[in-house]
Order: sequence, then structure tokens, then C-alpha cells
Amino acid sequence: MEEPGSLEVEFNSAYGTQKMGNAFVAPWVELEYGATGWWTTEFYLDTQSTFNDSTLFTGFRWENRFRPLMREHWINPVLYVEYENTNGADKTLKEVVGFDNQFDFSEPNSELRKEHNHEIETKLILSSDYRGWNISENFIGEKNLGHQPWEFGYAVGVSRPLRLAATSERCNFCSENFVVGAEMYGGLGTAARLSLSGTSHYLAPLVAWELPNGVSFTVSPGFGLNDNSHRFLLRWGVSYEISGFGRKVRSLFQ
Amino acid sequence: MMRSRPLITAMLLVASLAFAIVGAAGERERATDDRGVLLVIAQAPAKTRGWKNPYEGNSDALLAGKKLYLQHCADCHGQNARGMRNAISLRTPQVQNATAGELVWFLRNGNLFYGMPAWSGLPEQRRWQIVTYLKSLR
Repeated sequence: MEEPGSLEVEFNSAYGTQKMGNAFVAPWVELEYGATGWWTTEFYLDTQSTFNDSTLFTGFRWENRFRPLMREHWINPVLYVEYENTNGADKTLKEVVGFDNQFDFSEPNSELRKEHNHEIETKLILSSDYRGWNISENFIGEKNLGHQPWEFGYAVGVSRPLRLAATSERCNFCSENFVVGAEMYGGLGTAARLSLSGTSHYLAPLVAWELPNGVSFTVSPGFGLNDNSHRFLLRWGVSYEISGFGRKVRSLFQ
Repeated sequence: MMRSRPLITAMLLVASLAFAIVGAAGERERATDDRGVLLVIAQAPAKTRGWKNPYEGNSDALLAGKKLYLQHCADCHGQNARGMRNAISLRTPQVQNATAGELVWFLRNGNLFYGMPAWSGLPEQRRWQIVTYLKSLR
């Protein structure tokens, strides 16, 4: 969850290779705002560029995360609701659901962009902190509003700072600023056919570098675990947190 | 009709973001009521009063705690922890008289309805370091 009143501006990208079709880069911009201590809202603008094809804007997403419990527990749930207005050429691959697979992207952008997706995505995010480790499990349900069945997916991940206690001096390259982890994510079929058969799955190590000035870098090379998956999926991003953004905006109008 | 749908959606999004910012403003105003914050400290389970700060008397931990305070807390509570705008002074007797265990519990849980975020994402060691610094402000 974002701190109340803070705005995080993020630039992320996914690079993917595929057996049938050209490799692609899918950058997206995120604006994440901490509305309250228990509510974070986020707006995305998605684009993509496919090698030897074209570059295009693929749509927007609006996401809201809510903490239903006001106290910390062994397992802390967060409810996640996202509205997606994207076209079929969207390749950001923020999550994998249903029977998503690499062959979905084998057609040229001019064909893919004709498909319009109006979807509601829901997630139950369960997260735990134990001895410096953060463990999270996401259960994903996505519904295309155009009479398509619910699609399901999952993501599980663990991460930990390289050093748990902080050092006494401000530093950029010290181990306390680095977080390492791994994530596994994939599809679980649809409401009509819950199955692992025909779904794609990925395993992705993760490294994050969190600087004291609010800038963060993340890199996560993902590897497809079966023939339905992209062989290689590299996610990377840079973000900057503006503390007290809401207060600064309000002061403009006072 | 179809062309107007993205426009309407975009307007709804902008309105929702504005609502979120206004909502945060309301939250900050409620946070000025330091009784709300302090009551939550008082709600810390009794067992937390017995928690011993592993960094008590450790000067390196105090400096690390100050660094973490400036990084995570000073924007709301002020560089000198005397409070700022709607966030309370951390030098008040109500805070300083709380035990280290109660404070570290409060840092972990926050007070989400009154604008204090939960710092459960920070490793426990760093929360104790912040408490070590806060206790040095007495």
C-alpha cells in the first residue's frame, strides 16, 4: 500500500520473446496514490512496440487496493479491483490468467488492436512478513465484461532485503537498499474449465534497488516453464515517490 | 454513442482521483486529533510492554534510527519530530512515556483511519532502530 498522500510515479516495461512472432517491448506508466492508509488507487497507461511491426498505445487501467483489516496479522489480506480498457495488442503481461499463452501475440498489431477488452480484474492478495521475508500469494479472477467467462490466475512470491538492520550512515550502494526475491505466476483456466493444461507459467527472480531519495529500480527476468509460455520475459522498472503530493496539490487551491 | 464511452470513463477516473485526494485531506484533518493516535498506542496488547528493545543504548542503532526517521517519518512529523501540520509531536509525554514495545507495535500496525501508515513492510530491526531514536528525544 502507498503511504497516505504520497504519489509514486513509475515507468515499467516488459520485454518478451516468442516462438511464433517477433519479440516485443511493452512499456507502461503507473501513477500510484495513497488515498488513505487503507486505500491505494493507481492509474496505468499501456503501450507496446513489436519488432518489425509497429508501436501503439494499447489502453489504460484503473486499479484500487483496499486493506479490510486495520491491524497486522500473520496473514494480511488486500482486496484488489481493477478496470481495464485495453485492446488485444496489449502485451504488458502484468498478470497471466485463464489460458493466456504466447500464441495470443502471434498476429500482427494491426489485427490484434481490433479486439477491445473491457475487463474487471479482482485479486485477493495475502501477504505475510516473517523474519524479514515478505511472502505473498495472489489469487486472480478476471472477467471480460463482454459475456466471457471468469478467468483465473495466481502469483506467489518471496522477497527479503539483503540486510535487515539499517546502517548508521546514508548510503546508496549498501546492502540494506537491495531486495532480492523470486516470483512464480501463471494461469489456472476459466470458470468453465479450471485446469493447468493449456496454461502458461513463469518463474522470475527479482532484484530491487531502493535508494534513500525515493528512487527505486527493479529488474525481474522471467523464464517460461512450459511450451505455452514466452521463453523469456524481462520486466524492469524505475519509480519515484513524491511524499506529501496530496498536500502540495491542495495547497495550490488554498 | 460508442465514441463517447472512453470520454465518460476518463471523466469518471478523474472524478475518482479528485475524490481520493479530497478523501486524503479529510483523513489528515482527523489526524490532527492526537487523542486518536495516542489511544491506539494505548491499545497495544499488554505483552508489548514487556518487549525489550534489542538496540537499547546502542549508539549506532540510534544513528540508524535517525536516518530511517528522516527517510520515512520526517515528512509528516517534521525534521525535529516536533510535529507538523496534522501529525503530532513525537516528543510529547504521551509518546515518550509509552514503552519501546508499545511504540514498535504501533509502528508495525499504524493507525490507518487517522493517516498513520502501517510500517510492517520495514524489517523489524529497522522499526526497533526508529524506536531507539524516538526514545532518545525525551
